[in-house]
Amino acid sequence: MPKHIISGLKYLAAVELRKNGYNQNQIAEILDMNRSTVSHYLNGRNISVNSVEVAEVIRDFCRKDFLTMVYTLLKDVNQTRTIVKICSNTSYKSNIGNSCIACGICSDACMMNAVVLDDLKAKINDEFCCGCLICGEMCPTNSITITEVK
Amino acid sequence: MEMTDVINKDISVERTGVELRKLHFNNDLCAACGLCEKVCPVTAIEVNPTGAMVRTEQESSNIDIDSSECALCGMCSCICPYNALNFDIDGESIKESDLYPRLIKSSEIDEETCIYCKNCELACPPKAITIARELPVRSKLVTGEIEIDKDTCVNCGICEEMCPADAITLAYKNPTSIDPTISSGIDVNKDSCVYCLVCKKACPVDAIKAVCRTCSYGDYDLNSEDFGTKGKTFINQETCVDCGWCEDICPVDAIKVEKPFEGTLEISGETCQGCETCIMACPCNVLSFPQPEKSGGKVEKIHKDEKYCIYCGACEKACPVNAIDVVRTKINCTPIKSKAWQKAFDNVLN
Repeated sequence: MPKHIISGLKYLAAVELRKNGYNQNQIAEILDMNRSTVSHYLNGRNISVNSVEVAEVIRDFCRKDFLTMVYTLLKDVNQTRTIVKICSNTSYKSNIGNSCIACGICSDACMMNAVVLDDLKAKINDEFCCGCLICGEMCPTNSITITEVK
Repeated sequence: MEMTDVINKDISVERTGVELRKLHFNNDLCAACGLCEKVCPVTAIEVNPTGAMVRTEQESSNIDIDSSECALCGMCSCICPYNALNFDIDGESIKESDLYPRLIKSSEIDEETCIYCKNCELACPPKAITIARELPVRSKLVTGEIEIDKDTCVNCGICEEMCPADAITLAYKNPTSIDPTISSGIDVNKDSCVYCLVCKKACPVDAIKAVCRTCSYGDYDLNSEDFGTKGKTFINQETCVDCGWCEDICPVDAIKVEKPFEGTLEISGETCQGCETCIMACPCNVLSFPQPEKSGGKVEKIHKDEKYCIYCGACEKACPVNAIDVVRTKINCTPIKSKAWQKAFDNVLN
C-alpha cells in the first residue's frame, strides 16, 4: 500500500513538473524513476485512480503532516525534499527575532535544508522553506516566525 | 585506609545534526560561581548548593546540566572564567572562532625579565605555574681558592671537621713502619669549596694558604655570564584563574595579567558569621581570616584584597548568610555579534 501512495505522489510531482515545462527525461532524473514509467504516468497508465486520490489528500494536509507523511513513506530525506518542494505552491516568508541564540536546533530539524547559521543567528532561505513550522516549534527561544505569502 | 572510587563528576551533552555540537563540563576546574547559570538562555544549568559542597566530600557535580533543556548554544562556555565548560563544534573549540565572544583574560610571564625567583609559583592559588630553573655552577662564582701546604699540615683534621661545605677530605690510614703517617693526603674539592676561610682561620699550624682571585687578578677572571640563573617558565592556561597573584608578587614586574571582569566586592562585617565558607570557595585566594596582633584583640571578620579578585561571584554564591555582594560592572570580551548573546552577557552584570 505505501508503495502505491508513493506512486501517486510521484505521479502528482511528474504532472506538476510537466506543467512547468520539464521533459520526460528530466522528470525521470529529478524523481529518480525510469523514463518509461514517467511516460506511462503522464499518459494515465499504470497508475490507479485511488493511489492518486490518496496522494492528493496527503498533499493537501497541513504542511507539517504532508512533510512527515512523505518522509515516513519514502524514508529518504533527499527524495522527500524533492517531492514536497514540487508539490507545494505556497511561498513562505521567515523572520528570525533578535532573541535567536544560534543554537542550531532549527537547522538540525529542517528537513528542507532551508536553515543555516550566519553570524550567530539563524537564517532561513525562503526559497527552500516548505512551511512545516517544525523549526519554530523546536526553537528554545521562540525566535522564528514563518508566514504564508499569498 | 579506606579506598573510595573516584566519582566522575564531569558532564557531557552533545547533538549531531548539521554539525556535531559538544559541551563538556570539567568539574575539577569549576568554582561554582554560577555565571553559567546566569547566562544560560534556556535555564538548563543549575548550580548545586556550594556552601555544603566546599565543606563536605560531595558526591555530586558542582552544576547540573539538564540535557533535555540544553540547546547547545555555547554561551556558558564563553562566560566561564575558569575554563570549566568547553564547547566544540565539529571538534573545534569555539574559543578559537572569531564568531563567538571570548573573555579577554590572560597571564603571561616575560622570560627576558624573569629572575626565576619562584615567588609566583609559590603564591599561585591553583598551582598553575611551574618555574624550571638552572642555577649557575657554584665553583664559578667563588672568588678564591685555598691551598694546603702538605709539608706544614699535621693531618689534625680540624679543617675537615669544620668545613661547612664538606669540601675537605683527609685520607686516613693506619701508619706502618714503612710509612709512619696517619693520612695519605688531604684533598680540597674545588667545586664544593665556597672560600669562606673557616679552615684557614682554624688551622693550628697555618698550613692553609688562601688565594683571592679578585685581589690577585682583578675582576676579569669572573665572567658575569656565569652568574645568572637561567630557566623556563610555564603557566598552565587551563587551570590558571587570572587572579593576578603572580603579577602582584613578582619582584621584577615580569608578569602581566588581564582579568575577565571588573567590579566590586563588598562584605558586610555585621552579617558575616566568620564561617569560612567563602574563603574555601574562592579560587583566587582573595579572602583570609585576619590574625589579631595580640591574643584577644579585635579584628575585622574577613579580610579581602580585591587586587586578586576576578569578580566571579563564587564567594557570594557560597555565603550562607548573604553577607557578600559581588557587583560586576564590565565584561572584558571580544565583540559580541548577536543581540541575544549581548543580552545574555548583560545578565551577569549588575
